Amino acid sequence: MNMNIQINDKTIAVREGETLIETACRTGFNIPSLCYARDAVHKSSCMVCAVKDCKTGQMIPSCTAVPVEGMQIDTESHDVVMTRTLSLELLLSDHRADCEAPCTLVCPHGLDIERAIYYYDENRLEEAFRLIAAAFPLPELKCTACKVPCEKVCRRGTVDKPVAIRALIEEICEKYPPLPAPENHENRKADKASFLSRVGRFTETEKKRLKETVTTRSRCLHCACAGKKGCKLRMYAGEAGIKRSRYDASSALPAMSRQEIGSGLWFEPAKCIKCGLCVYNSDNGFTFKDRGFVMQIVLPPENRANINSRLAELCPTGAIYS
Amino acid sequence: MNCQCENNSEQAEMLSLVDAIIDAAGSERKAIIPLLQAVQAAFGYLPSDAIRRICERTEIGRAQLISISTFYTQFRHIPLGKHQIRVCTGTACHVKGASNVYDAFMRYLEIPENSLTSADRLFSVEKIACLGCCTLAPVVQIDEKIYGRVMPGKVNEVIDDFLETQSEKEKDETRKARRQAKGEIRLGMGSCCMASGSAAIYKELKTASAELGIEVNIKPVGCVGVCNKVPLIDVVKEDGTIDRYPNVKVIEIKEILHHHFKPAGCLKRLKNNILGHIDTFHTDITWDNVVWKPEHERTGLISNFLLNQKHISTEGFGFLAPLNIDEYLAHDGFEALKKALAVPRTEIIETVLKSGLRGRGGGGFPTGKKWEIVASVPGEHKYMICNGDEGDPGAFMDRMMLESYPFRVIEGMLSASRAVGADRGIFYIRAEYPLAVERIKRALDLCREKGLVGQNIAGSDFSLEINVFEGAGAFVCGEETALIASIEGDRGFPRQRPPYPAVSGLNGFPTLVNNVETLSQIAYIVKHGAEAYGKTGTEKSKGTKVFALAGKIKHGGLIEVPMGISIRQIIEEIGGGVEGGRKLKAVQIGGPSGGCIPAALCDSPVDFDALTRLGAMMGSGGLVILSEDDCMVDVARYFLGFTCDQSCGKCTFCRVGTRRMLDLLDKICSGKASMTDIDLLEDLALNVKRSSLCGLGKTAPNPVLTTLKYFRHEYEEHVNGVCKTGTCKNMVKYVITQDCIGCTKCAKACPVDAIPYTPYEIHSIDTETCVQCGLCIEECSYSAIRKIGLRKISRNMNEYEYSN
Repeated sequence: MNMNIQINDKTIAVREGETLIETACRTGFNIPSLCYARDAVHKSSCMVCAVKDCKTGQMIPSCTAVPVEGMQIDTESHDVVMTRTLSLELLLSDHRADCEAPCTLVCPHGLDIERAIYYYDENRLEEAFRLIAAAFPLPELKCTACKVPCEKVCRRGTVDKPVAIRALIEEICEKYPPLPAPENHENRKADKASFLSRVGRFTETEKKRLKETVTTRSRCLHCACAGKKGCKLRMYAGEAGIKRSRYDASSALPAMSRQEIGSGLWFEPAKCIKCGLCVYNSDNGFTFKDRGFVMQIVLPPENRANINSRLAELCPTGAIYS
Repeated sequence: MNCQCENNSEQAEMLSLVDAIIDAAGSERKAIIPLLQAVQAAFGYLPSDAIRRICERTEIGRAQLISISTFYTQFRHIPLGKHQIRVCTGTACHVKGASNVYDAFMRYLEIPENSLTSADRLFSVEKIACLGCCTLAPVVQIDEKIYGRVMPGKVNEVIDDFLETQSEKEKDETRKARRQAKGEIRLGMGSCCMASGSAAIYKELKTASAELGIEVNIKPVGCVGVCNKVPLIDVVKEDGTIDRYPNVKVIEIKEILHHHFKPAGCLKRLKNNILGHIDTFHTDITWDNVVWKPEHERTGLISNFLLNQKHISTEGFGFLAPLNIDEYLAHDGFEALKKALAVPRTEIIETVLKSGLRGRGGGGFPTGKKWEIVASVPGEHKYMICNGDEGDPGAFMDRMMLESYPFRVIEGMLSASRAVGADRGIFYIRAEYPLAVERIKRALDLCREKGLVGQNIAGSDFSLEINVFEGAGAFVCGEETALIASIEGDRGFPRQRPPYPAVSGLNGFPTLVNNVETLSQIAYIVKHGAEAYGKTGTEKSKGTKVFALAGKIKHGGLIEVPMGISIRQIIEEIGGGVEGGRKLKAVQIGGPSGGCIPAALCDSPVDFDALTRLGAMMGSGGLVILSEDDCMVDVARYFLGFTCDQSCGKCTFCRVGTRRMLDLLDKICSGKASMTDIDLLEDLALNVKRSSLCGLGKTAPNPVLTTLKYFRHEYEEHVNGVCKTGTCKNMVKYVITQDCIGCTKCAKACPVDAIPYTPYEIHSIDTETCVQCGLCIEECSYSAIRKIGLRKISRNMNEYEYSN
């Protein structure tokens, strides 16, 4: 059966079994999407892939919408782009996470402080030192003269008191005074150009929880997103030019709460956009709980065995990462 | 050790019960909802051991169990108290102060905020979307018993009354059948009627007639629609004329009986007469003597109420007993089915197409068109689903139809199935409507006995088995794709259409989903033909529509009116105008999917397209009248709160979008918003309307958009910190005026002790402590307590005063 549809004034023959996004992407139109994954079970949720059905004026999710003879689809107009931006903004208003750690963002030397502290906590001091050495002209440590803005913005500071970052760095550097500054060591600078999500204020219960549970040597909360590398949410938000969501965040999500879920994966509910990819693609693994705004994705403990590492790739945000 | 053993045996007993339930309900994935319903019916909640057992013994995994049991509101994971108090928060109840009633119960039972159950585990209190007794608002249900017009100050009486009736052992004396007197007595036994005491009236009729030796047929009939006048008795006299007695009280029964019917023996008559006289000496009850003034002689009110109505869906109104199949057959029942069996299928579809019937579920899609598609798609099986998942707060016509006219709906379903070639039928009915479920099940059994449901119906080659599926409490399941998902044992997530259920629905087979009311119109159309049907209604909206008329209206109830009647006609001529002589402000039509139409536009006709043009929607047919005392921002917030709560959570715009809209409305109602927030709200509302996945999200912004369109000034007033009606609690305070005589009634009534006990002095209210429950205003006999605005409204007036 031959079927033709029109996408942005271009007439396209539809292939059997295709959804709109597949037809469009095959013919060179670019449609962003979060909850869609090729070759995986997906059910429209995010609405970032919205396109306009010109006949009805409705926005439809191109990831599951099936082409119908004579359809006229608009994928690029201002209207469509605004809808996508709004859906991203709405998702971000219920997204309680920092893309980058605030300390890293403010460091005048561009040191990835959170990373260095991570190595420190893991007792991988040499790696921590190399990181520092790439940022500072050693052996003369410039931290002493700095006004330590990192400690002022430290998230831990809103819980009890900030991590003693300067003291930590000095402690690391004192251990390796003879080491020369490594050459060509890449300094991972914070990606300030991209979209930056902010975690917002902690609630009293969160503060209590964090105070009690985060008891590493440094006491660092490690707020930088560990899954930011493959995060499509951040990518699209950056592309859409979003600085901050227009809508005040009110969220039921527990900030900075991560759990190890087996197969070397971690799950952080506060970054989840509830697209359900992990639910549909694990058999008796992840599941939805409750409904509406307070709906969560949960993993019952006895289902951990049913988790596969593919879920980290499928997850469009940094909610599931390895 | 002994105790341990007991526990073990208890546990074993419980598990064997669970096993029995599994054996009965099946162990497939899609059996999950009936399975959990059965478990909950057995234990009152879902015990964790039972859940574990289900995981072990069935295909249902832990993931699915969590997913389903937390999606549907019917399921509970913690046991509740012995008795459940359900406070209805439907629209009608909301505008009459249901939240204050809820607060009052919570306070009276001393239930802490994060709990549902009182310390002695006797009572649990929860809010419920709608009990469907809107005309008795505010309504509270305790276990099976419904209390209407509950005021915050009367909750103790309600609970006392409930406990009293609990302790009384109900005696049900069945009497031998006797020789029947001519004439009969008809008594409405719908849910509303039951709520207002019809059961007691029925009992009294039985005992009184036995006592007086009057042998008369007492017949419970379906809902009569005049819900504000119930309990209502119709006495059919020997000559067939009817005397109607509204608001009957138990003590009046004997008098009515006596007036109309002669006891069997002369001696008995004399005895009754004497005893009657003695009775009058013994009691000091004075009441309006009903007997000498039947309704139609007295005011003509009900006759007016019924005058402009037309009964198509509710044919047989007022005289058909819901479950008497012989009577239904005697009144041309199943004629439509016979006709449908006699003519070719295409002809039935053609008739329905020509009749112009449009789906009554809300969208208004032409029914015949839908049938045509289902009929044209090939399929090994085809399903016919009757959508009775009515969940709108403030609408209860489907419930009434299922309770009162079960055969009619079944007949519609059979005709439809025959037309499209469906061989499997499912009634999807909310579990919150136990009476409807029970009656439909019973009616189906009766039909089966007569060979009208099952194999080879009425001797033809047409077969249809009909089952009942109880919806577990999710408004979104009214959407057909979500409904199908829930029957398949999934969360009620709607999906993108096409493919439409008509092409690929339940289990992948073509599925016809029709609303209860749509089906109840079918019998008429098939029986009388498209032309006869087309005489009623407007050009594009044919036939009649059933509305639940409630809110600030004198005579609320269930009405069936021809399409094209104006809203004002409904209010003035049928409803008798606004309650308490107040001015009409707006009409909320179509529930959470509909909108508010201002009084100025109330001359517009009621039809699908006219309402859509106004930004409202036919919806399922809630018609809530709002007077000048109602705050439109609060109404918008109320509806949005409902849809936000009922959103399934699948798509971003509905899940997060409606929530952000609600946040903005909360901000506006608290007086902390700025003017830009109104624009932000409007922009978001338009986007949610355009981009949500299903009908729920697409229509959820309607109440907000229409109030913004017609009552924007009220939003602006709220931003300026003024709520003229005094509804928004953050903008008003209670004060006591100089009229106070210091009687301390208010001080005693105050649940939070905000009024100090100062006899013979003018009282004062501590604004900080006051929760604005309104109890003191209710108590005060001198109108000395008033609500005043916190912010001044104009230069001349320092404080804005409300008229209460």
